[in-house]
Amino acid sequence: MDTIITNEGTKTMVKLKGRLDTTNADQFQHDIQPLMECKDPDIDVDCCDMEYTSSQGLRLFLTLQKSVMSHGGKLVLRNMKPQVKEVFDITGFSNIITIV
Amino acid sequence: MAFNLDMHCEMILDEYRQRQTTYEKLKNVVLETLTKTLHDNNMLVTAVEGRVKTEKSLTGKLELKGHKYRTIDDITDIVGTRIIAFFSDEVDTISAFVEKLFEVDWENSVDKRKMLAIDRFGYMSLHYVCRLPAAIYSDPSMPLLNQIRFELQMRTALQHVWANMQHDTGYKSQVEIPIEYQRSLNRLAGILELADEQFSRIRKEINDYRRNVQSLVASGNFDEVPLNGDTFRSYCELKPFNRLAEKIATINQAEVYEDNPMPYYKVLRALGMETIGDVQRMMNEYGEGAYQLALIQLAGTGLDIVASSVALQNLCIVMILKKGYGEAGLNRMFDSIYGQSDYNAQRASRIFGQAQRINLVN
Repeated sequence: MDTIITNEGTKTMVKLKGRLDTTNADQFQHDIQPLMECKDPDIDVDCCDMEYTSSQGLRLFLTLQKSVMSHGGKLVLRNMKPQVKEVFDITGFSNIITIV
Repeated sequence: MAFNLDMHCEMILDEYRQRQTTYEKLKNVVLETLTKTLHDNNMLVTAVEGRVKTEKSLTGKLELKGHKYRTIDDITDIVGTRIIAFFSDEVDTISAFVEKLFEVDWENSVDKRKMLAIDRFGYMSLHYVCRLPAAIYSDPSMPLLNQIRFELQMRTALQHVWANMQHDTGYKSQVEIPIEYQRSLNRLAGILELADEQFSRIRKEINDYRRNVQSLVASGNFDEVPLNGDTFRSYCELKPFNRLAEKIATINQAEVYEDNPMPYYKVLRALGMETIGDVQRMMNEYGEGAYQLALIQLAGTGLDIVASSVALQNLCIVMILKKGYGEAGLNRMFDSIYGQSDYNAQRASRIFGQAQRINLVN
């Protein structure tokens, strides 16, 4: 799982590539830690090259979402492949996290 | 404008200049104390504001009525603070907090709301003259901090609007305004007073309605409770979908993350539900189907976390299919919750296929 974080003005762009599961969840958590310390974060996650997420990944997205909300910010996940989006759908996580 | 102050007033002005830092500190401490108290008591207000009277304004006051003041301590509005509330009944609640916080100088405090004759409309505000108790804040380098009196005005937003308009158009003006304008201002004051009263009354009625709905929902007489945003929210506080969510969670021994089912309210309305009793019946009738759908979707995935809203999500899906609205009905539901997208049609098609396999489609 590769995580590339860049800034475009006030927006933070995150690009994910590969599978997010138990083997790399710790690394992903480490990668997104700085995002949880931002004030008024505006985070845009491009999931177009993400192949899969396990429930570990869902938990980390949930943690990120809670942190962003508590800082009065915004988190959007976009360009998900259908097989990844299905994981969010069948667990009800599409109701929690904004996916476009 | 040139000011002609006598020696007595010049001495007061000198004293004022020496106390500037203390005045600023007093204003800041009072504002911080008020803001914190209102926040701690969940009181939303329009504004908490304050100022230290400018030298120019004080000089003008001294020129006009300097002879009234024996010492600078007789001028109680050099530090002026103000709380602007939304509703007129909140002004009394706020004043109760203020009375607990500060030492109120009752002799010099006035309730201008009660000073107007029954046939007069105009300036309505509660003015307290207070001191800052040392128990709240003290500073040995500023002993006057707890002795200087300050003014605290409490009023509603509409009273504030009127006070500002009156101030800008007439009060303190050098030129007296014609009587027809004064009459217009007074008529406006009457309207604003009426509006303040109506806002408070409407808010009370809404609160009474909500309490009534909550007790109806709590009593379990669901067929008597019309389905609307308020009643559905109260119903959700009883966590009616949690049992189904817990059952779904057993599929993978999953953790349930409790989220907000409110986005599904509009789907329930679109499905023709009119009372909370209809929602309850949906759960009884389609709960097993909702579980079976989750079973076919989640079993074998190893996904061990679900949002509690998955229960209501699946209930709605099953009801749509059982009522014969088919794939198009599912697509419409997803469009209404997540916004339109091509993916919604794919998702609807996938679920329709899954539902056919377990005989959920009529």
